[in-house]
Amino acid sequence: MKPRVIFTVVFFALGLIIAAVPQSRTMQYRVGADDMLEDLHGKSQFISPDEVAAFLVEDNPVIRLIDLRSPEEYQAFHLPGAVNLPMTDLLNSDYRYLVDQDMMLNVFYSNGSVKANEAWMITSQLGYRNNYVLEGGLNYWAEVIMNPERPSSTSPDEEIARYNFRMGASKALGGDAGAETAPADVEAPLPAITKRPAKKRASGGC
Amino acid sequence: MGPLITNGIISPETDLLLAFIIGIGFGFVLESSGFSSSRKLAGVFYGYDMVVLKVFFTAGITAMTGLLFFSLFGWIDMDMVYINPTFLTSAIAGGVIMGAGFIMGGFCPGTSLCGAAIGKIDAMVFVGGLFIGVLMFTEGYPLLEGLYNAKPMGMVKISEILNVSDGVMALLFIAMASGAFWLAEWFEKRSKKVEY
Repeated sequence: MKPRVIFTVVFFALGLIIAAVPQSRTMQYRVGADDMLEDLHGKSQFISPDEVAAFLVEDNPVIRLIDLRSPEEYQAFHLPGAVNLPMTDLLNSDYRYLVDQDMMLNVFYSNGSVKANEAWMITSQLGYRNNYVLEGGLNYWAEVIMNPERPSSTSPDEEIARYNFRMGASKALGGDAGAETAPADVEAPLPAITKRPAKKRASGGC
Repeated sequence: MGPLITNGIISPETDLLLAFIIGIGFGFVLESSGFSSSRKLAGVFYGYDMVVLKVFFTAGITAMTGLLFFSLFGWIDMDMVYINPTFLTSAIAGGVIMGAGFIMGGFCPGTSLCGAAIGKIDAMVFVGGLFIGVLMFTEGYPLLEGLYNAKPMGMVKISEILNVSDGVMALLFIAMASGAFWLAEWFEKRSKKVEY
C-alpha cells in the first residue's frame, strides 16, 4: 500500500475517534497532585468528632455540617443543623454557594469517611476552600459521641476528661448517653466546654 | 499537565531555548525538503508542485489530532492554550498581501530566511523586502490602525461558530485535507513537467 493511503486511513481513523468521543473539558486543577498527596498524608482535611461536637454544643455559627447521603437517609437521621447535599448534587451549580465560599467552615460527612473524602478531594481540586471531613463519619460519631465508651478508673486524666466531654456533648446533642447519669467516679458530671476559636477565620471583604 | 509554560513546568527561559532548538529543526526540515527553492514554492500556484500545500496540511492535521488526543487523555488543558484573537478584516487583508507576496517572490517569510541562509540572492532580496514592509507597517500604523483593529471577534474557533464539537471539526478538516491532497495530485499530473 502506498504510504499516502496509509496516512489517509490512519488520520481518518483518528479523526473518527476524536469526533466520536465527548469533548474533553479538562478541569483546571488548582491543587497539584503533590499538594493533594501531602494533604492526604497529613490528614489535614479531618476534623475529629470531638471538635465538631464542641462547635455544635457552643452553637458556633461558623460551622456548617453537610450531609452527603441521600435525602431518605438524611430524613431518618442527621446531625443537628446539618444541610443535605447528596453526593450526586455536589457539583450542581445551584448548590455551589454551599461548597465554594469564604464564610463558613464546611464539614462533609457521610456514614463512613470515604464519600466525604471524595467530596473534599473534588472540591479542593476545584480550588474551593474551607471544606473539611468529619473523621470516621457518622459511624465513628455514633461510637465516640453518642455512645462513648467509659474509660476504666485507672485511665489517664485526659481520657476521663474526654469521656466527660463526650457525655456532655451526647446529652446536649440528644444521644443515648444523655439519658444515663454520669458515672460516680467522674468528678464533674457535666464537662465545661471551653470556647474554642474557629479553625479558620471567616474572611469577608468585597 | 500541559501547557508546560502556563503550568510552570518549564520556565520562560527554557521555553526560549526550546523554541530556538525547534526553530533550527524547522529550518533544517524546510531546507532538506527543498523549500528554500522559490520555484518549488511557486509551483503550488502554477500547479506543477503541490508539496507545500501537502506539507502544511499534514503539519496542521498532525498537530490538531495530537492536541485533541492529548486533551482527551488529560495531558493538556485546552482552555489554557492561547488562541490568537481573530480580527476578520485584517486577517483577510493580510492573507491577500501575504498570498500576493508569495506568488511574486516565491517565498514565505520562513522559507525566505532558509533560502537566504544557503546564499540565495532572491531570498535575500525577499528578506530585505520583508524588513521594508515591517518598517512601512510600523511607521504607517496610525493610518492602518482602523483596518488593523476592525471586526474583533475575540479568541474564537471555527467549531464554536459552526456549533459543532472540536472532534467533529477535526474530522471535517481531515476530510478537507484528504480532498486537497487528491486535488493537488490530480493537478500535478495534469500540468506539464517543469524542470527546476
